[in-house]
Amino acid sequence: MKNHQPIFELDSFSFSFDKHDEPSLNNVSFSLYAEEVTLLLGASGSGKSTLTLCLNGLYPEAIDGFTSGDLLYKGRSISSYPKGVINQEIGIVFQDPESQFCMVRVEDELAFVLENLSIPRSQMKQRIEHVLDIVGLSQYKKHNIHQLSGGQKQKVALASILLMDPQYLILDEPTANLDPISSIEFIETIMRIQKERRFGLLVIEHEIDDWETYAHRLIALNKKGEILLDSTPKEGFINHLQELRSNRIRVPKRYVNREIARPPSSEKENKEVIVNLKNIQFNYKNKQILNELSFLIKKGRFCAIVGENGAGKSTLLQLIAKLNKPVSGSIDFLNIPLSDWHENELYKKIGYVFQNPEHQFINQTVYDEVCFGMKLSGYSRVETERMAHQLLTDFDLLSDKWKNPFSLSGGQKRRLSVATMLHSTPDLLLFDEPTFGQDAYTISQFMRIVMQLNEKGTTIVFVTHDMDLVDSYCNHVLVMQEGNIVYNGTPKELWRRTELLERARLRIPYRLRSMNEEMTV
Amino acid sequence: MRKSWRLKDIVLMSVLGVVFGFIYLGFFGVGKVLVAILTPFGLGPIGYELIYGIWFIVSIIAAYIIRKPGVAFTAETIAAITEVLVGSTSGPALILSGMVQGLGAEIAFAVTKWKNYQPRILVFSGVSAAFISFPYHFFVSGFHAYESWLIMTMFVIRLLSGAIIAGYFGKILADQLAKTGVLNGYPIGKEIIARHEKSSTNF
Amino acid sequence: MIHSLNPTMKAITIIMPAILLSFSFDIITPAIMFIYILILTFFFSKLNIKKWLFYFIPMSFFALGLAWMTMLYTDGRYATGPIIFSFLSFDIRMGSIIVSISLALRSLCFIGLSLLFAFTTDPTKFMLSLMQQARLSPKLTYGILAGYRFVPTFRHELDMLKKAHRIRGFGHAKGWRNLVEQMKQYFIPLLAGAIRKAERVAIAMESKGFTGSKERTYYTVMKIKFTDYLFLSIMLIILIIAYYVSYRLGTLNIFGHRITP
Repeated sequence: MKNHQPIFELDSFSFSFDKHDEPSLNNVSFSLYAEEVTLLLGASGSGKSTLTLCLNGLYPEAIDGFTSGDLLYKGRSISSYPKGVINQEIGIVFQDPESQFCMVRVEDELAFVLENLSIPRSQMKQRIEHVLDIVGLSQYKKHNIHQLSGGQKQKVALASILLMDPQYLILDEPTANLDPISSIEFIETIMRIQKERRFGLLVIEHEIDDWETYAHRLIALNKKGEILLDSTPKEGFINHLQELRSNRIRVPKRYVNREIARPPSSEKENKEVIVNLKNIQFNYKNKQILNELSFLIKKGRFCAIVGENGAGKSTLLQLIAKLNKPVSGSIDFLNIPLSDWHENELYKKIGYVFQNPEHQFINQTVYDEVCFGMKLSGYSRVETERMAHQLLTDFDLLSDKWKNPFSLSGGQKRRLSVATMLHSTPDLLLFDEPTFGQDAYTISQFMRIVMQLNEKGTTIVFVTHDMDLVDSYCNHVLVMQEGNIVYNGTPKELWRRTELLERARLRIPYRLRSMNEEMTV
Repeated sequence: MRKSWRLKDIVLMSVLGVVFGFIYLGFFGVGKVLVAILTPFGLGPIGYELIYGIWFIVSIIAAYIIRKPGVAFTAETIAAITEVLVGSTSGPALILSGMVQGLGAEIAFAVTKWKNYQPRILVFSGVSAAFISFPYHFFVSGFHAYESWLIMTMFVIRLLSGAIIAGYFGKILADQLAKTGVLNGYPIGKEIIARHEKSSTNF
Repeated sequence: MIHSLNPTMKAITIIMPAILLSFSFDIITPAIMFIYILILTFFFSKLNIKKWLFYFIPMSFFALGLAWMTMLYTDGRYATGPIIFSFLSFDIRMGSIIVSISLALRSLCFIGLSLLFAFTTDPTKFMLSLMQQARLSPKLTYGILAGYRFVPTFRHELDMLKKAHRIRGFGHAKGWRNLVEQMKQYFIPLLAGAIRKAERVAIAMESKGFTGSKERTYYTVMKIKFTDYLFLSIMLIILIIAYYVSYRLGTLNIFGHRITP
């Protein structure tokens, strides 16, 4: 495969955002080839995204950054190409489906790409229809992009890249914000196209289990932005496992002896009920979202709400927290109807961690953010200081205590958003997709904190797409589908209901997938 | 520093313009309430003038963040277009009014060749926007029918409002925003980082 | 149909009477224009009347407020004629009533024109037309469009912010004094998120080969047609007729100067 001329050659290439900064990419040398599928691994902040934008020629110019060493595209220095040429030959699909488009409708967004290439108008319609057919979105041509699902948006992003007929394609965590089934669908779509068109492919992704089988090569970066490893995936994952893991890089689950997570404990079963919903109905804009729901959650449980996007999971969570009012039905919290609770009292006992932690930030510094709730609860200054110090230590935020909350990294923001809920020990903590778009290390660190809270007696309810989390942490799971609860019980029992899982678009956890595979083999 | 607009400058201007377009519309309501309060005291028309500075604020914020020629004007124009597309009481002529206000704000920066973004220039920009926009509204809004003492009072109050609300609060809002770190890729953010480094090396 | 007119031409056609009406301080001229605007709205555009009224009615209170204010503070040049009634310490004269009705009708015209434009124009097409007819640079055009794309997400974001702040015991700040506080509370997080997205969108657009160059083809070609000129001409003719009728009736008043035949 390597007998061709390489598409990219990097020779002692470094990049920094500012002259005095530590470089984000440090003395990197490697080549990338056509038809080759390469996995690029590295912990958050190791310079992966920076590298993609350098390959694409947008950096250093777009942000006035600094480079040294060589970066060649087809044997010529990348900076010697006129503006726009490289962009049209190298396609990137980015992580965030919300911020990749400039037009309102699918058709117009795709046309925007063709216009950039100065394709004659007479050919546009046919090309647009063709590419939509390839990614399987033919019937969405006239739809508004913001009304599509995350998975569909990423396919639109892919379609617009394919219109450029790129020589090389870069995927920068394209499935990080997708649910598991959409994620698989996206991967299958792109690999099918790669097989036909034979472009080179560079994949950046935290969760690489589903990509690994397609990859020919593996490049890993360490925290300093240096090359840690450049090998075949198999060789890398087998022989350099420890190196990768010590650099906080998640490796495919099949190379790791799974740590046995806490077996869902049923011994210390608590009889008390914390939340009790009866015949809950909820409408939004005259559309029925929740339909006659009834269930109860017992104290001390670790409970997950799962189901595909749009099934009503977040709505349900908000109802439990009195952030929405049901049309009919009743909700009791600690045996008292929600409507009888005073908000101030209620929110001492219920915490809610939003999908986007930034929504919860009110103050200018991390420290003030943590103290805010304590002040409202009327703690003394000494007490507040002591508690704040303890919380910041527990959540590994002490050294950042004077930073602005918005300027933290994704994982830090997430930890802070939980910390802000702990000014009084809550009886119930609700989480809306707390692990979405996070890297492996952050997730495990986060789950450890949640486990500790649960052990101290806090009931946990969280909405998630990650069945592995459900499998290893939860002792209660609710499956939602189109506004109904279609399953209410233990995870263990759920994994046996194959037909139900399929209907609700859920993927069984890796542990069982691998067992099934072993059995069939 | 390059004076030409980068795409991200334009998208930012647009986002600011759109957001403030909505805020501007909201403040028409605020003005109405002020007018209702002041009318019994014989000062009704001053109600709008008191808060007039809010309608220049995006010029100052955008210019202060991006620091390139034409930014104050363009951001204000985009805000005005937004108001018209969403539906405002002043009609499509509001776009012209926005352009006039934006031009007024731009003058302050043009005088300093787009190099000086110190607080006093920002305040001056609020004043110049007020100064330029008043004759225009005199013409379009029929101030002509008002008594002359009232017109003079309105003018002075508008200048003050431009200085305080647009200049001063505009700067504060932009600074607050910069503290979140999202503006690190723009001149305002770079200035803050540089100041930070300086103070830490002094230490 | 007004929907299918070229947006740039439509904007010009609609801005023109808005400026030219500013000269008149009588009742007849804006009244004739207002009737014409209503005819356009009800018979020549396919807009939802219910939705139109939903916007028009509250906005027309603004016009009434303006009329009331003008009535109280009319300059000597206009405040002529007999005293009709007194309010607090104000004596309201016939001339004041006329000029205030005139200004009210003028703002009703503005509102009508504004809604006519807003309800019959697709923002995307408006921008494309500004690029193709008014020679606005593609960089500006698509940059603005990218910013507009965030509008639908703001409402959802704001809703989430309010809920998140409630949970933290930081309710909706109330009252006048807290207006600034309130703005800060929602404004900074809302905008911070939008700015981050704006930067990403700009990168995404450039990575799709967008350079801002004027050398590009168009998928949606915006044209100026005969009907666009027709619409413009009729608008101007009606405006001239309005002024003329007022002149013949002897009511025409330009900046306080009565002009009679």
